Amino acid sequence: MSLLEVEGAQTYYGESHVLEGVSLEVETGEVVALVGRNGVGKTTTLRTIMQLTPPREGSVRYRDEELVGLRTHEVADRGIGWIPEDRRIFSQLSVEENVRVAVPDGEDVDEAVVFAFETFPELSDHRDRDAGTLSGGQQQMLAIARGLVGENDLLLVDEPSEGLAPQIVADVAEALAEASTQTTLLLVEQNLPLALDLADRFYVLDNGRVVDDGDANEVSADDERLRRYLSA
Amino acid sequence: MIPDPSIAIDFAAPVFQYGSPLQSGTSFVDGLGQFLRPDTLVSVFVEGLAKSAIYVMIAGGLTLIFGLMGVLNFAHGTLTMIGAYLAGIVMVLLVGGATGAWGRVLAFFAALAVVFVLVGGFGGLVEVGLIRKLYDRPPIAQILLTFGVALILEEAARIVVLFYGLQPASEWQEAFGTKPAALATRHSIGPLSIRGLALFEILLGFLTVVGIWAFLTRTRYGLFIRAGSEDAEMAEALGIDVRRVFTVVFALGAGIAGIAGAVLMWDQIWGANVPLAAETLLPAFVVVIIGGLGTFRGTVVGALIVGMVDAVTTWWFVNVVTWTWLPDVAVFLILVVMLIVRPQGLYGVEEVGGH
Repeated sequence: MSLLEVEGAQTYYGESHVLEGVSLEVETGEVVALVGRNGVGKTTTLRTIMQLTPPREGSVRYRDEELVGLRTHEVADRGIGWIPEDRRIFSQLSVEENVRVAVPDGEDVDEAVVFAFETFPELSDHRDRDAGTLSGGQQQMLAIARGLVGENDLLLVDEPSEGLAPQIVADVAEALAEASTQTTLLLVEQNLPLALDLADRFYVLDNGRVVDDGDANEVSADDERLRRYLSA
Repeated sequence: MIPDPSIAIDFAAPVFQYGSPLQSGTSFVDGLGQFLRPDTLVSVFVEGLAKSAIYVMIAGGLTLIFGLMGVLNFAHGTLTMIGAYLAGIVMVLLVGGATGAWGRVLAFFAALAVVFVLVGGFGGLVEVGLIRKLYDRPPIAQILLTFGVALILEEAARIVVLFYGLQPASEWQEAFGTKPAALATRHSIGPLSIRGLALFEILLGFLTVVGIWAFLTRTRYGLFIRAGSEDAEMAEALGIDVRRVFTVVFALGAGIAGIAGAVLMWDQIWGANVPLAAETLLPAFVVVIIGGLGTFRGTVVGALIVGMVDAVTTWWFVNVVTWTWLPDVAVFLILVVMLIVRPQGLYGVEEVGGH
């Protein structure tokens, strides 16, 4: 039994058919990269798993439980975290409040805050600032910290390096590598070297379908196998 | 039970007779001299604080619901009116002629609790049963819906009030009579003469502001509310049941509207009556527009501005000039200037709410 099994997911935005039968699996402890050109349905796949945009057909099973039909907060309660494309930190809350809000009920909130700031010491210096005043890289760190304190067994990470300067991308990659030691990751990333460096396996998505998959160690970013799906 | 007639208020007495009143027709210079006397200034300031306290209680729930949910609740004043009647019922039932001052105050706090639970619970039901279905529609749908709810509730209240032999358009005198004597009279503090009820209203306004502020910033549920109002989808993805959060916010806002009504039930300027719904909705909107739609801090400052301007202009109207329209015109003038100079209000942001 895989940790996550998506099978034949058909997802629409209104009348626009975005996922045309996506199927993929993620095993416990893995880092799985989901790659593909812009607009092929990578973000929608993550939204489908979270039930933010539920599929019209197909199934999403987590620990053998069907998620389709649940509300998003119920999916989150089962241990799936989502770090969205544009970070979506709460800009009017302080950095610490952004961490606190992500700690599930019943967990020790103060302990989780200490853990987050130990893992990301840079955030600790800004804990009382409005999170909206952080730099892009710091906001990404905060989004990852929020995912980690959520006691999630699976983190869905969407374009974590997008819009960041190269030296900051290295920091984010390091943070994700750290995260991968604690939880399973399903990673959507345009930066192919970064994705393949972190991932154990990959799926290639094209026009709403999985068109290729394999072992991340067996391919490189400039392989023809990947390039034909990824070049514009 | 019949309230003690001995503590009935002298309704013939001028409502705003604080400071040393001058005769009508007094020159402007004499009036100014009188107004600038320290005892007058302090008295006007205390009255201004009492009015501000009322305005912040009237507008607090409205701004909370709009700021966090983006819903303009046109039934807000109606909930205040219902709160006034409900509190009156509790007080008339609990207070008898022999009930002492502290007993009456205790009964009032019991009435506050009853009103908060009942009106808040009703607000929660309205959110779940009606408003929730309209979140994806344009704001006009919510405005029309809450306006419709207001009309239905007001007519229902009118029918019930008439059924029990009361005049819907007149303040409920029996409810006034449940006030402790200390709140129905004026108190001399040095050269000052302060209304007891004014001090009580200031206390309740202060408790309301501190209570809302502490709930939003010092509790875990307040954190959920602030997160959910900024980005509902993200909050949901973090495990927060945002639908329930919105229900709680609407119930809370409605409950605050209700307790504002309970406070007004004792104030002879307002009193429990059906037109109270419209009489409170208008100033509530003025306060939240001046402060900035949806910001609680703005509402507190807006209430202070409106309360002080109201108190100052009322003093001039009562003591110097005969322009009955002065207080209202002054307040609406501030509103007009604000809408021209800074349409988003003092602390307003361009976009609020989220669902």
